[in-house]
Amino acid sequence: MKLKKRKGVIVGFIILISLSFTKRLTTPVYFEVPTNWPQPHYDFKNNPLTEEGFQLGRHLFYDPILSRDNTISCASCHLQATGFTHVDHDLSHGIEGKIGTRNSLALMNLAWTKDFMWDGGVNHLDVQPLAPMTSSVEMDEKLDNIVAKLQKQEKYQLLFEKAFRTKKITGQLTLKALSQFLVQLKTSNSKYDKVMRNEDKFSNSEQKGYDLFKANCASCHKEPLFTSDTFENNGLALDATLNDVGRMKITGNPNDYQKFKVPTLRNIQFTFPYMHDGRFKTLTEVVKHYNSGIDKSKTLSRDLLKPMNLSDNDRVDLVAFLKTLSDTEFLFDPRFAYPKE
Amino acid sequence: MIKFVFSFLMCFLSFHSVVAQKEKDSTFLQLNLKFGSQPLQLNKTYISKKNDTLQVSVLKFYISNLQFDYSDNSFASSRSYHLVDAENPKSLRIPIENNNKMITTIQFQIGIDSTASVSGALAGDLDPANGMYWAWQSGYINTKIEGTSPSCKTRKNQFQFHIGGYKKPNYAMRNCILHPNTNLEITVDIAELFSNINLQQTNSVMIPGIKAMELADYCLTMFKIE
Repeated sequence: MKLKKRKGVIVGFIILISLSFTKRLTTPVYFEVPTNWPQPHYDFKNNPLTEEGFQLGRHLFYDPILSRDNTISCASCHLQATGFTHVDHDLSHGIEGKIGTRNSLALMNLAWTKDFMWDGGVNHLDVQPLAPMTSSVEMDEKLDNIVAKLQKQEKYQLLFEKAFRTKKITGQLTLKALSQFLVQLKTSNSKYDKVMRNEDKFSNSEQKGYDLFKANCASCHKEPLFTSDTFENNGLALDATLNDVGRMKITGNPNDYQKFKVPTLRNIQFTFPYMHDGRFKTLTEVVKHYNSGIDKSKTLSRDLLKPMNLSDNDRVDLVAFLKTLSDTEFLFDPRFAYPKE
Repeated sequence: MIKFVFSFLMCFLSFHSVVAQKEKDSTFLQLNLKFGSQPLQLNKTYISKKNDTLQVSVLKFYISNLQFDYSDNSFASSRSYHLVDAENPKSLRIPIENNNKMITTIQFQIGIDSTASVSGALAGDLDPANGMYWAWQSGYINTKIEGTSPSCKTRKNQFQFHIGGYKKPNYAMRNCILHPNTNLEITVDIAELFSNINLQQTNSVMIPGIKAMELADYCLTMFKIE
């Protein structure tokens, strides 16, 4: 009996030691909320951030294995240096050169985003990647097939084991890992942010632009995220070649006709072209649209009913302010770049 | 310390035996897939009451949140989700706890509730990799029925019903209440659905909406005790 007891003690200790060891295998990541920012919408309790989870998500983000013919990765349309979006193309293109119907959105500060896509059809960051994965003009792949492809690779068996302590890859874990990467794409260190923290000063032109911005744009592009995370009709005349009804496609509600997500303006200097269909190539064109190009329809945002009446100088100042929203630290952060093996 | 470790081990061992006990004591709810009086076979030709000749190639649906009322007026319920797939005979047997009480009523939902529909990536039967999750418009497909019929003037004569929707007024989950026999077998008669729809007119419903709500009502009539 005594011997048995001693054996039990030894086994018990082994269990305790191995338990404490497994806990230490993942490195928790603390998600810092910048001062004076609202609390994030993403629920980290259901997907606790770890360095290993982030790195796995990063590998997945840059890996074309997610597409049917292994040619398109998330980064194909979401490039870091341009605010994680696809520049130079009004409509983004995917597998076999096929062209989509909308301009890819910039990926940043997604922890604060409630609804995803231009029409808000996706209700959670975790399930957002399913849209490009399965779209026939983007990656044209199925999640179960992606899981099977990942499972075959030793590299991913290892990365999943490190992140989630299991070699059994599932759809859930694949999506959660992607979320771990995406949710950490935080940009909060632009000149604007530094001015707000009293670390820097606006030039005269930037300050004038900021005042104009607060008077004319900030109701939808709300500070500090520069979006209200709502859907609005911003007075773009319908492009008959696309006939995109926007949010109405999701809700079926005629009041949502031609309403689209209010995108963030952070890093806007680099995320051209602009609007859901990429119709404007420059910020000057965008400001001109709001100043004198509004197409009045039933669902037009109430805030755009009154003309802005900006002078040529005002418009230059406004663009100068918009450029203070660029955060080069974010755009060139090696942590978010293509992972080296 | 020795005492602590010993009791820790005892707890561990007794937990193990409880799990083993539970497995032994579980019983099954058996779903019998049928087309009218015949057992349903995928890709076999049937004729509906509306005179449509048809073959079903895919049949998948969710049974969730099973609840039991017992003859002694007690009840048991659990948050649970089962993906039933006609291609996977194992999925037709849903394990339930056997507590030797007589079940008078079985209650469950056909489909997925709104809470689970907004909870991001979930595991097991709710894993989006099961192909029962919409991509461009979030939410689960409660019931997926696909097949062919010469009545459908569509590509390859296909019909596709992906029935779902978690937002009012198009919340397509349906509550099903049945009074079982002692053998705990539930009949799922696909013919009931096709006796309500005309495949020439209705052959593709893939989004939440009024049509999906209608089909969800018809799906509810498939579940019965024989």
